[in-house]
Amino acid sequence: MALNFFDQFMTPIYMGIPLITLATLMPRLTFLQPTSQWTTSRFSTLQSQLLNSSTYQLFAPLSPKSHHWALLIVSLMIFLITINLLGLLPYTFTPTTQLSFNMAFALPAWLATVIIGLRTQPTHAFAHLLPESTPPLLIPILIIIETISLLIRPLALGVRLTANLTAGHLLIQLISTAMFTMIHTIPLMAMLTGTLLLLLSILEIAVAMIQAYVFVLLLSLYLQENM
Amino acid sequence: MLSRLVFVSGTHLFNLFLVQASRGLHTSSQCLAPMPPMPEHGGKVRHGIFPEELFQLLYPKTGVTECSNITFSLFYMLGTGLLVYLLSKEIYVINHETYAGLAMLSVIVYGVKKFGPQVAAYADQLNDEKLAKAQVVKDLTLNSMTESIENEKKEQWRTEGRSLLFDAKRNNVAMLLETNYRERLHMVTNEVKRRLDYHVALQNLKRRMEQEHMINWVEMSVVSTISPQPEKESITKCISDLKALAKTSQAKATV
Repeated sequence: MALNFFDQFMTPIYMGIPLITLATLMPRLTFLQPTSQWTTSRFSTLQSQLLNSSTYQLFAPLSPKSHHWALLIVSLMIFLITINLLGLLPYTFTPTTQLSFNMAFALPAWLATVIIGLRTQPTHAFAHLLPESTPPLLIPILIIIETISLLIRPLALGVRLTANLTAGHLLIQLISTAMFTMIHTIPLMAMLTGTLLLLLSILEIAVAMIQAYVFVLLLSLYLQENM
Repeated sequence: MLSRLVFVSGTHLFNLFLVQASRGLHTSSQCLAPMPPMPEHGGKVRHGIFPEELFQLLYPKTGVTECSNITFSLFYMLGTGLLVYLLSKEIYVINHETYAGLAMLSVIVYGVKKFGPQVAAYADQLNDEKLAKAQVVKDLTLNSMTESIENEKKEQWRTEGRSLLFDAKRNNVAMLLETNYRERLHMVTNEVKRRLDYHVALQNLKRRMEQEHMINWVEMSVVSTISPQPEKESITKCISDLKALAKTSQAKATV
């Protein structure tokens, strides 16, 4: 039994192997390899359909030059969705609850979009710092504010994902502990808590998928701005 | 580097880079080609996870009836025993994670039971659309082939009647030639007749002119020889002749 609720977020190194590496590599096994069959199985068809539709959704508003990022962004999305969903099972570890893990995705990608914007179209990139038709008095303040908001983007991306998942996992732990403790003393309250736990599970499944999609959607938006 | 070239040569540049490939093409019998056909349905499972074959292990020994399936099937016996062992020896500890896991499991099972058939139907529909597209292409090709076969047969039938066509054309041409010949003949005749008519008219004109000239000349010479005296004599003679004639005619008339 865990001593405190934060032991689920530990990243131990067991016999020289950091276990987070295994936890990061395992979800890849749930994907199917592309086959040379023309009519594929149901799972394979659905997987390809999911990938194609999400790629189209993400990249339809983007210019053709930025379609080079498609592989990176969609594979990131699938990776994050799988990791998040697998972490909802009991006794599993979710790497995306670690801030370092998420910042490692957010910071380089955001920085790449900013550098691309500054290199290819610097005037256009700087123009994003000032919204259209602002009153002249507000211009200096607004530029400072917009710069801060630009610089805080990678932090926001990483922390959003981390916080959502960590909070969700903690909530599940808390409510299931409450249910576990109360089931011998006040079974009725335990049943109500159980209902709450069910609803929370549904929410957590939704949050796991939505947060990954939002991460990737925001990256594509930053890309659209700068390319 | 070599492996990349082999890959490249294997896909679509067939023999272009074969010189540097570390293995040739088609040197061994092919594996996984042609593709083995995909099974129609997935493997049968019971309770969603356990394959049906596990339950069939001791059927030859234990036999199958309605209740013996549950009580005496090896799988259920072993499964129940294992579960009870894990729980009673606290190898699987029941703690708060169990409840979290139960909640998640019930959500998953509910989702699969409720939306499973719909998702499967959607996947099948995607595959069917793909097949239908290919089928349309195939049907179009077949139809166009059948049409072209029929057209070919029709052309063959048409060539049988080509001798009739040639005869008709030959007759046509002969008629045209004949008509043309006759026209020219007609034209020639007309032209010759015109020229002859001209000569005839010329001769007629000449004779007439000669006649007129002669008449005029004779008149002129006669008139010139008439002097006034013979003219008076001839006129009185004429008058007396006329009188005599008038008398005879009067006499005839009264008679």
